[in-house]
Amino acid sequence: MSRALVAIRGVSQRFGADGGAVTALESIDLEIPNGQFVSVVGPSGCGKSTLLSLVAGLRLPSSGTVLCDGEPMAAPMPRKVGMIFQEANLLPWLSAVDNVAFPLKLRHVAKAERLAAARRMLELTGLAGFEDRLPHQLSGGMKQRVSIARGLVQNPAVLLMDEPFASLDEQTRMVLGDELLRIWSETRKTVIFVTHSLNEAVYLADRVIVLSARPGRVVDDVDVDLTRPRSFAMTAGERFGILKDRIWQHIKSAERR
Amino acid sequence: MRRHERLIVAAVVLGLFALWEALVRLGRIDPSLAPAPSTVADALIRLAGRSEVRASLGVTAWEVLAAFLIALPTGLLLGFLLAELPVLGALFRPLVNFLFGVPKSIFLPVFILVFGVSIPQKVAFGVFTTVFVLIVGGIAAVQSVPRELITVSRVYGATRAQIIREIYLPAMAPILLESARLAMVFNITAVLLCEIYGARDGIGYRIAAWGENLQMPQLYAALVIVAAAAVAVNEALRAVETRLGAWRQGA
Repeated sequence: MSRALVAIRGVSQRFGADGGAVTALESIDLEIPNGQFVSVVGPSGCGKSTLLSLVAGLRLPSSGTVLCDGEPMAAPMPRKVGMIFQEANLLPWLSAVDNVAFPLKLRHVAKAERLAAARRMLELTGLAGFEDRLPHQLSGGMKQRVSIARGLVQNPAVLLMDEPFASLDEQTRMVLGDELLRIWSETRKTVIFVTHSLNEAVYLADRVIVLSARPGRVVDDVDVDLTRPRSFAMTAGERFGILKDRIWQHIKSAERR
Repeated sequence: MRRHERLIVAAVVLGLFALWEALVRLGRIDPSLAPAPSTVADALIRLAGRSEVRASLGVTAWEVLAAFLIALPTGLLLGFLLAELPVLGALFRPLVNFLFGVPKSIFLPVFILVFGVSIPQKVAFGVFTTVFVLIVGGIAAVQSVPRELITVSRVYGATRAQIIREIYLPAMAPILLESARLAMVFNITAVLLCEIYGARDGIGYRIAAWGENLQMPQLYAALVIVAAAAVAVNEALRAVETRLGAWRQGA
């Protein structure tokens, strides 16, 4: 196993003042090797998104450390970590290509260079020919593809995805899931993928981390030993069912409480 | 508007003018209250040729422009600060909302006492009237900025200045322009009110004088000039607004 690219060590996160304090995450320890596709699942409100915002450097944990490539994440490091949200969150006044080039613009990359990079990313995400469309002229799935292209444009080692397909319809989700696997196999990113969908979690990932209800703790770390490339037929297979059931047992008991 | 719609509107307007002209000529309308359009058009041409009338228009335009150029940055900056700084907002937003609803015309005598009947008085009153529209507009513009776009920019390493330039300004632009256009309407109204109430020059001063002397053709001709100028300014601002806000379509 290659060394951990993302290391989460003894991380706890509390919100609010002492009296009404809420512990969102408690003593999380995770080592994620380079190139691994990790899904994170857990009951509603278990702190999955909080965990991602810690890895993104958007906030500091109350205790513990988050290391990316050996460096503590004290602030966002856009060249190391790209993030994709549930909503595409595109800048509505910019065309698709300008949206993808936006992170490079923030770093003052020359215009020709950043547009060329953005075009390559749109091609990678299957949007060649839609470069000049404004977000309101794109479908929900296409917007999320633009958002993925924007997350990849700086070639970060880590891609964080916070329920990226949750607001899309079933078919679009499945198509984009396969697209994501293709992009992942071409770019070999380390992906941390938060989702509510157990199907999605197992289908996409090498490994599924299961968090408990608040305060979020790691209750299971499931190795997904399905062959790659994944195919739709596998989702009806016995192994897929066993893995999904194992995860579901944790979630079910947590949601019932 | 589509082409045939414009033609219909033009035909209706021309028809109304023709009806008005006919009613005056048939003696159904008293020309001393509402002179025929042809008489007004005549007066309009004569007024446009008189240098003192052109000078008055210039004075008014100058007052309107000066007031707008002072009120615009002041009002928007105050609105921005009230929206972004919680302490200032809590202290002053109720006051702004309260003053926004008060008719500003009741303060006109105070402005005359402070500034005298002068050009600075017109400008000051214009600024006073307009600035509230811009403060409220500025607050609304800040509130229209999607918070999640700020988060996205932070993830991609944007500095505070970059967030202002790349997210705040473009996101606020449509509402800022809309407020500016609305503010201009208030501004023109305020300056003309000042001139009609008491002035030594300006088109409002002439309108008041022609009205008192029952010089109806001149009065109506001046109304046409002022209305045309106001509509032109409004439509120009609206054109900019539409261009810069094209991304909002379907949003």
